[in-house]
Amino acid sequence: MKHLIHLKVNGDDYELAVAPHRTLNEVLREDLALTGTKFGCGTGDCGACTVIMNGRNVSSCLTLAVEANGQDIMTIEGLAPSGQELHPIQEAFVTYGAIQCGFCTPGMIMSAKVLLDKNPNPDEPDIRAGLSGNLCRCTGYNKIVEAIEKAAHQMNQD
Amino acid sequence: MPLPKFKYLAPKTWEEACAMLAQYKGKVRVMAGGTDLLIKMSLGAAAPEYVIGLKNIPGLDYIKYDQTKGLTLGPLALLADVADHPMIKEKYDAVAHAASVTATVQVRNMGTVAGNICNAAPSADNIPALMALDAEVTLARLGGKRTVKLDDFFQGPGKTVMEPEELLEKITVPAPLPGSGTAYLKISPRSKVDIAAVGVGAHLVMAGDVCQMARIVLGAVAPVPMRARKAESLLTGQQLTTDLINQTAAQAADEARPITDVRTTAEYRKTMVYVLTRRAINACAQKALPPCAK
Amino acid sequence: MSKYSIIGTNTPRVDSPAKATGRALYADDIKLPGMLHGQILRSPLAHARILNIDISKAAALPGVKAVITGEDTPKVKFGNWRLFPDTQDEYPLAVDKVRFIGDEVAAVVAIDNDLACEALDLIKVEYEELPANFSVDESMAPGAPVIHDYRPDNISLNRKIEYGDLVKGFAEADFIAENTFEVHAVSHAYMEPCACVAQSDDDGRVTLWTSTQVPYIVQCLLASTLGLRENDVRVIKPVVGGGFGGKMELRAWEFCAAFLARRTGKPVKFRLSRTDELAYGRRRHGMKLYSKVGFKKDGTITAKDFRADLDGGAYNSMGPTATFLCGNFGAMLYRYPNYRYNGYHIYTNKPPAGAMRGFGAPQALFASETQMNMAAEALGLDPIEIRIKNAMVPGDQIPDVATVSSCGFIECLQEVAKMSGWKAKRAACAESRDGKGMGVGCYSFISGGVFNWLYTQYTFSAAEIRAFEDGTVHLLTPATDIGQGSDTTLKQILAEELGLRMEDIRLTVADTSVTPQSDLGTWGSRVTLMGGNAVRDAAAKIKKALAGVVSLKFDLNVIHDIGFKDGKIFPVTRPDRCLTFGQAVHMHQKFKRGEPLVARGYYVPRGKGLVTPAFSFGAQVAEVQVDRETGIVKVEKMYTAHDCGTVINPMSVDGQLEGSIEMGLGYALCERFVMDKGRTLNTTFLDYKVPTALDMPPGESVCIETFESEGPFGAKEAGEGLVSPTAPAIAEAISQATGYRFKDLPITPEKVLEGIGGLRKV
Repeated sequence: MKHLIHLKVNGDDYELAVAPHRTLNEVLREDLALTGTKFGCGTGDCGACTVIMNGRNVSSCLTLAVEANGQDIMTIEGLAPSGQELHPIQEAFVTYGAIQCGFCTPGMIMSAKVLLDKNPNPDEPDIRAGLSGNLCRCTGYNKIVEAIEKAAHQMNQD
Repeated sequence: MPLPKFKYLAPKTWEEACAMLAQYKGKVRVMAGGTDLLIKMSLGAAAPEYVIGLKNIPGLDYIKYDQTKGLTLGPLALLADVADHPMIKEKYDAVAHAASVTATVQVRNMGTVAGNICNAAPSADNIPALMALDAEVTLARLGGKRTVKLDDFFQGPGKTVMEPEELLEKITVPAPLPGSGTAYLKISPRSKVDIAAVGVGAHLVMAGDVCQMARIVLGAVAPVPMRARKAESLLTGQQLTTDLINQTAAQAADEARPITDVRTTAEYRKTMVYVLTRRAINACAQKALPPCAK
Repeated sequence: MSKYSIIGTNTPRVDSPAKATGRALYADDIKLPGMLHGQILRSPLAHARILNIDISKAAALPGVKAVITGEDTPKVKFGNWRLFPDTQDEYPLAVDKVRFIGDEVAAVVAIDNDLACEALDLIKVEYEELPANFSVDESMAPGAPVIHDYRPDNISLNRKIEYGDLVKGFAEADFIAENTFEVHAVSHAYMEPCACVAQSDDDGRVTLWTSTQVPYIVQCLLASTLGLRENDVRVIKPVVGGGFGGKMELRAWEFCAAFLARRTGKPVKFRLSRTDELAYGRRRHGMKLYSKVGFKKDGTITAKDFRADLDGGAYNSMGPTATFLCGNFGAMLYRYPNYRYNGYHIYTNKPPAGAMRGFGAPQALFASETQMNMAAEALGLDPIEIRIKNAMVPGDQIPDVATVSSCGFIECLQEVAKMSGWKAKRAACAESRDGKGMGVGCYSFISGGVFNWLYTQYTFSAAEIRAFEDGTVHLLTPATDIGQGSDTTLKQILAEELGLRMEDIRLTVADTSVTPQSDLGTWGSRVTLMGGNAVRDAAAKIKKALAGVVSLKFDLNVIHDIGFKDGKIFPVTRPDRCLTFGQAVHMHQKFKRGEPLVARGYYVPRGKGLVTPAFSFGAQVAEVQVDRETGIVKVEKMYTAHDCGTVINPMSVDGQLEGSIEMGLGYALCERFVMDKGRTLNTTFLDYKVPTALDMPPGESVCIETFESEGPFGAKEAGEGLVSPTAPAIAEAISQATGYRFKDLPITPEKVLEGIGGLRKV
């Protein structure tokens, strides 16, 4: 039996009928065409599917869509909604070479956003701990850490 | 693989959840955070006909403290909230630490302490810490409830004394005694964000340099998280010395019954029980010292 | 000030805004109207004869649109060694036999993924299980089960290299190191699981969007396996989420998507799960390496006898190339006056090993670098000094194979010693007993392979430039960016050549029906040098045409050098006489009566031997802290000095270095497959341990800039060789810290404790 659910994603309201076994990841990607959220492992180990739900970064591959009913969700597409200007975290990722293949990037940026929302002045160990649920195979992480440091600085100036 | 199909049940009250569990007994799994159950289902290790989602019942994620009753965690108390809770960090730092080193940031934002207990993996991080603190769980069913000490809760990997119609209602941890120190230490081959290859929880109550009470719990070295009772007895009533601590750690290693699996070897696990037990006892003793002595 | 405008600057990746906003489209993000979803049935047995496959129940399931087995296909084998058809040993779907757990047996397409999975369970396969070999030793034993009938000894390939006089060389030696090393298989663990979408048109031509490093190779092999002409197959590379060598062959799902799109008339998507990737996916070759090296008392190398047994798994995949290259890398870095290599690629009933970053180098260099460290120890020499003594220099030759052109290896060694404070710190580590250690490892790598087993009539790379009178150009290149940054690098090269800005260049890449023929894809670190040279060749033709326009316009003497800078074209000594780029194009087009200004450029390495036109070099130092009680190794810092020729994009080069260190760290310490009789037991990222942000050490690096005359602006490779020095450097540091020498990988905490006698008995 499908369940009628209501999702608020990036400020937009969606009414959907979903089967219970469908994950938030599948619904975002397939039903809402928000393909910025990636599927990397399906077991919550890689972080490529990370979205922000009620202010927390969670694995969309381990969230049932029915259980996201009524929740406030942000995906990478919602971070700089105008599509023109980049969010300071995105800007820093671009500027400081934190992106290579880019497949981890949306999830990484979602985790970075939660990290900086909770702690606007993180030190390097805080940043590494905050990213520890997001695997990246290309960059060796150091440029990502640097980008987040720079973004934090920028956001504190703004 | 996509998740197998199932019917999702969304009780609005605790009683309704108990009733559903009784009704669909044997064909149903209860889901708290889902971070263990959904992985099992997607890897083909579980295929329940029904899943009861507890998230629709308001207020189950509570964390409460009372000087006489101690700490109470609701069935949906999140790992992240337990890890970050100032009171838990102050009074039950092993519990907060164990929650903080469970899985990843994202999983801690979804998973619950209760779920980690009910999943009953020998490697579960939260269990050695809670057992060392003599925690108990309250199990509820339609029309009744009982309390079981974690010491008596586990029966094997994934197996507990919970009956098919029972739900974990809360976790209770006694208030800390004066002079107590607690610690949870784990070893994993990668950084701390990982599954434990070995975990040791310890709780000492000290009077000066004499250990009045000791509980040592070993994770991932037996089919269930286990007390190292002989090791504990070596400490009780004794003055803590380096020799005694080493002897106790060696005794704990003797008591461990590890296996070799994908994560590590039995020999390594045994060795780490020795190392971690020694370090955990030292950490407990350090924390138990009165502030002026620190 | 640099003579260049864009070369050598930290230019942000051109695709990074799209990636940062989630707009970048990867293969699995593609959704076409009416698209079907595919799944592959895999063998549960390591070695078995297929007796019967009953697909009737699966085919009858409503919503299932087609079910195929090997019998439905044209039964054409594939493999990248097209030049040697014998080595092509794999069918897209198994015919008669399965040879590893995960061998592809049947494929299903249905209206959704749930149904496709459900249908897989309804396919009934009867197998006759056969005895199997799970290690190189088992496969080589007399009377071992035969995995492929054409190779009764299970050795798929034997590659030999020999020069000099080994007997004489060893006779001159004062010290001979003779050791066996064992290195393990690891996963590419690219973050994007493989995915593809195929569409067939009314003429039966196929378009395939696929997560690949090698669109052209996929095009060729897909055409042959489908029984089509090459031009009937169009392969388009969407954004690719990493490859590291794991996406450089035609693979079963790509064939199945194309075959089933033709059969059903509908678009078909396949996407692998992470379990598919880890349990059944290609991996780096595990190897047993036997190495004997002779040294004189002063450290001078006299001879080397090297043998590698490669655990190839069930099919050749890219193994023959790895076998070939392993022997070449074994002869690199140092002057081995007398050298012999014997490489055996051996079939086992395990998931096939393929290409992976380093491609034979991480294994060969773990052995040779560890042996250099052992020799230094035995001879009482400093590990860096003994390397400098033997280091290759420009002009050195590997007879019949390669000549070293640019080479800054000695400078790398000197620099890494200086920046790491080598002498003092290493001595301090030796004195202390607190688990600190410091070690060195080095590498050399190719900048693209000259060997070309695919057998194609095309040039090695190509580029097309279309110039417009609005001052912009359109670069069409078959070069394949999989995350390493070639889109950015090639644009930088073109912008520098034509004096344009990055934003003046439109880019179309890696679409086999649109971008010019041809390019062998992204592997062997070939793109910057080969793709870059093709771009420069095309740019030279555009420049020649436009220089003519300027010359005509200002009636210049023919001796003038014409400059291209800041969007202007001018005689270098009279920059006031300039046209804008757009004006010049406009005039050229007028002169040609409307014909657009288009040029194609190509590159083929000629007279460069069989290996590569250019070698990179580097040296790395690792500092570690070993917990002698737990055996846990913390890598505290990495220092690297490397020679990649002219640096085109420092930030990109540094990113490649840091990513290489991460991968090398995993190889050295924590990544491995746990196997039981051909079955991979750790099939999630929980148990296959890729390093996290918490594991990654800080680092310092220096680029030793040499000028490679064969490379664009003097550049050579930077993305692949760097993966090799990390493991031997860390291993040496651990050996110093513990006093125990590690000759096999990974160096897990268990092994550390075992090595120093710190394990308790069970």
